[in-house]
Amino acid sequence: MSLSLFLVQLVNGVEYGLLLFLVASGLTLVFGVLGVLNFAHGSFYMLGAYLAWWVSARSGSLLLGIAIGLPAMVLIGLLVERLAIARLYSRDHLSQVLLTYGLVLLFNELQSVLFGNDVHGVDTPEALSWAVRLGEQTWPAWRAFTSLACICIAVAMRQIVLGTRFGMRVRAGASNPEMVEALGIDVRRLFATLFSAGTALAGLAGMLAAPLTTVYPGMGESVLILSFVVVVIGGIGSIKGAFFGALLVGLADTFGKVLLPGFASAMVYAVMAAVLLWRPRGLLGAAAEGR
Amino acid sequence: MGEALIETDGLTRRFGALAAVNGVSLAFETGRVHAVIGPNGAGKSTFLNLLSGELRATSGRVLLRGEDVTRASPDRLSRLGVGRAYQTANLFPEISSGDCVWLAAQSRLPSSMLFFRPAERYPQVGVRAARALEACGLSQRRSAIAGQLSYGEQRQLEIAMVLATDPSLLLLDEPLAGLGHDEALRIVALMREVAKGRTVILVEHDMDAVFSISDTVTVLVDGRVLVTGAPDEIRNSAAVRDAYLGGEVA
Amino acid sequence: MRRQALLLAAAAALAAVAFSGDRFWLQFLGKAMIGCILAIGLDLLVGFTGMVSLAHSAFFGLAAYALALLTNRLGLVNPLVTLPACIAFAAAAALVIGWLSLRATGVYFIMVTLAFTQMLYYLFNDSPALGGSDGLYVQARPVDSRVAAYVVIWLALIAVYLVLSRVLRAPYGRVLEGIRGNEQRMRSLGYPTRRYKLVAFVIAGATAGVAGYLDATLYGFVNPAQLGWRQSGLILVTVLLGGKGTLYGPAFGALLLAFIEHYGEKVTEHWNALIAALVIAVVLFLPRGLAGLLQGRPRG
Repeated sequence: MSLSLFLVQLVNGVEYGLLLFLVASGLTLVFGVLGVLNFAHGSFYMLGAYLAWWVSARSGSLLLGIAIGLPAMVLIGLLVERLAIARLYSRDHLSQVLLTYGLVLLFNELQSVLFGNDVHGVDTPEALSWAVRLGEQTWPAWRAFTSLACICIAVAMRQIVLGTRFGMRVRAGASNPEMVEALGIDVRRLFATLFSAGTALAGLAGMLAAPLTTVYPGMGESVLILSFVVVVIGGIGSIKGAFFGALLVGLADTFGKVLLPGFASAMVYAVMAAVLLWRPRGLLGAAAEGR
Repeated sequence: MGEALIETDGLTRRFGALAAVNGVSLAFETGRVHAVIGPNGAGKSTFLNLLSGELRATSGRVLLRGEDVTRASPDRLSRLGVGRAYQTANLFPEISSGDCVWLAAQSRLPSSMLFFRPAERYPQVGVRAARALEACGLSQRRSAIAGQLSYGEQRQLEIAMVLATDPSLLLLDEPLAGLGHDEALRIVALMREVAKGRTVILVEHDMDAVFSISDTVTVLVDGRVLVTGAPDEIRNSAAVRDAYLGGEVA
Repeated sequence: MRRQALLLAAAAALAAVAFSGDRFWLQFLGKAMIGCILAIGLDLLVGFTGMVSLAHSAFFGLAAYALALLTNRLGLVNPLVTLPACIAFAAAAALVIGWLSLRATGVYFIMVTLAFTQMLYYLFNDSPALGGSDGLYVQARPVDSRVAAYVVIWLALIAVYLVLSRVLRAPYGRVLEGIRGNEQRMRSLGYPTRRYKLVAFVIAGATAGVAGYLDATLYGFVNPAQLGWRQSGLILVTVLLGGKGTLYGPAFGALLLAFIEHYGEKVTEHWNALIAALVIAVVLFLPRGLAGLLQGRPRG
C-alpha cells in the first residue's frame, strides 16, 4: 500500500470513528445512566439522515437541513423518551430489547411511508465541495469538516460532563442511578435531556454522513451494531471509552475493508471478541471490582 | 487453644484510597463462635465479603484449613464448607421456601448436571432440605412463597438455606438486624443450636446476643483490629468503649 | 389439567393436518412448527435461565447451511447421518460462542450475542463460496415428500418439548431456575453458575440447529437473512408473546405470529408496523404473554 493510500485510509478510518463516536456516545450514556438498552438508536441516525436529505433536496442546502434537522431530532428524542423509553426504566432486559426492537420496525415503516424506499444522494455544500491533497490521493473537505465537527463536539461533551452541574449529575447517574434519585435530583428531567441529547447526536451523525454514504433504508442498522461493538469495547457509561473504542472500530473497519475485502465486517467483531477475552467489562468500563 | 479453621494474614481491601479492611490478621478457632463487632464503617461487612469470596482482597491472604483460598470464587468456597448468610434478604423471591432450601441442599450433590430424573427422585436432597427447614422452625411454611414471608421468617429461611449446605464454617452477617425482641430471641436460640459442632463468624450489632453466644470477640475499628478477647474482657475494655465514641458497649 | 388438555388438542390438530394432504397448510404449518421449536429452545434460555440471547437465529442458520453444504458438496443426504452432524455442528458453535459471550454479563452478554450473530450473517452474506446474499439450494433433501417432512417436523416438535420438559424437571432445571431468580446467591450456595449457563446455551443452540435442519429440509433453500438479529428478535417476540418461562407458551406465540405474519401481509403492505404495534403492546400491557392469561396468577 502506498503511503498516500495509507494516509487516506487512516484519515478515513479516523473520520468514520469520529462519526461512530457521535452515535455511540449517546448509546453509552443512555445505557449507563438510564439503564436502557436502546435498539432504536440506529433509527435516529437514519431519521437524521433522511431529514437532512429531505430539506436539502427541497432547499438546495444541506446546512439548512442540519439546522432544521437537529432541533427536530431533539423533539423526536423527547417524544420517544416520554412515550416509550420512560416505561422501560424499571423493566427487565427482555422488555427493553423487544420494545426498542418494535420501535425499530415502526421507524422503518415510518421512513418507508414518509420518504419512500429509494436511495438518495445528498450534495455537500458548495463551500466544502473541494478536496484536500494527500500525496497522489485526495480527501474530500466535507470529511475534514465532519471530523472537525465531531472533535469539537467531543471536546464540548468533555467540558460539559466534567465541568458543569449537569455533567456531574450525569456522571453520578452513570455510576449510581438509584442514589441520584434518592438525592432528590429531578431524575425525569435529567433522563429526558440525556436521551434527547443522545438522539440528536445520532441524528447529527446521520446528517453529516449523508453525503458520504447516501441515504437509504436500513442505513441505521450497521451503524447500530457497530455502535454496540464500540460500547462493549469502551465500556458502558464511559464517554472516554466510547471515544477510543470508536476510533479503534473505525480504523479496524476501514483498514479491514482494504486489506481483507472478504472479511472486513468480521474483523471488527474479531477485535471485539479479543477485547472481551482480555477485559470482560470493556477497556474502560468499571474494572471488575471484587468479582 | 484450638486450631484455626480459617485465618487471615494481613488481609486488606482498598476502594480507591480508602482501606475498608486494613491488614487484618485473625485466626478463627474450629468449633467456636467468634464475633466481629465495631462501630459503623469499621469494615465488618467488607471483611465477611472477603472471607466468602465475594470481594477480592487487595493484598493479604485467607487460609482455610491451611490452604490459601484468597482468590477462591464464592462457589468454590461454598463447596469447601463455607456457608454465608446475608444481612438483607438474599433469597429466591418467586419460589416457595421449600424450593429455596431444596436448591441449597441440592448444591451438595457431586454435580447438578443431571438431566433425566426428576429432582424429587433424589431423596438425599429432600431429606437434607427438610432437616434444615425443621431446624429453623419453618416446616409449616414450606409452601409459602419466599418473597411473601414475614421479615423474621425470611431471616429464618436465610439460615435454613445455609444450613442445608452442611457448612463447617458459618458466616452470619447481622442475622438480627431489624428484628423485634421476640423474633430476635428466637434467632439467637437458633444460632446457639446451629453453632454446635460448627465454627461461626458472627457480625452483629446486638450486643446482648453477641455476648451471650460468643466464645471470642474481635473489635474492628476503621478496618483494623483493635482488640480480640473473651466477651467479658471486651465488655469491660476502656479502649473498646472509646472506640464506640464513649457510648455503652453492653 | 387445562394446560395438558390444550396441548394435547393442539398436537392432535396439527397431526390431523398431515392427513389432509393440503399443500398450503402442510407448508405453512410446517414452517410454523419450526418456529415453535425455535421458540421453545429460546425459552429455555430466556424464560428459565434469564439469559437474553440474540444469537439463536445464528445456530438455526448454521445448521441449515451445514445441511446444504453436506448435501451439495459431499453428497451426504441420509438423515441418520446429516441430522446428528448438523445438530452437533450447531451445538459446537454454541459452545464456542457461548463460552466467549458468557465472559460478559448482563447487557454486555446481550450485545456480544448480537455481534456474533451479525458476524456470522456477514460471513455467509459476503462469501460467494457460501452462496452470498442469494443463498444456497439444497440439492437433495433428506426427506422428499411434503407429508413426510411435515410428520418429521411434528415429531421433532413433540420430542423437543418433551425432552426439554424433562430436563427442566431434573436437578439441572432447578439450577437454571435458581440462576434466573438470584444468580449471585446460587454461586454463594456452591454452584459454578457459568458452567450451567453455558450448557443451557448449548442445549438451546442444539434445538435451534434442529429447527434449521428441518427448515432447510422443508424449503430446500438456505439464505443469510435467516441468520440476522432481526430473526433473533422475532423469535424473542414469540417467546414474550406466548409467555416466557412456560415452555409451551412460546410455542403458541410462534403459531400466532406465523398467522399474523401471513394474514398481515394480505391485509396491508405495512404489516411490519402491525407486528411492531403488537410487540410494543405486548411489552407494555401483556408482559406475561398469552400463557399469563391462561394462568391468571403469578407462578410459584
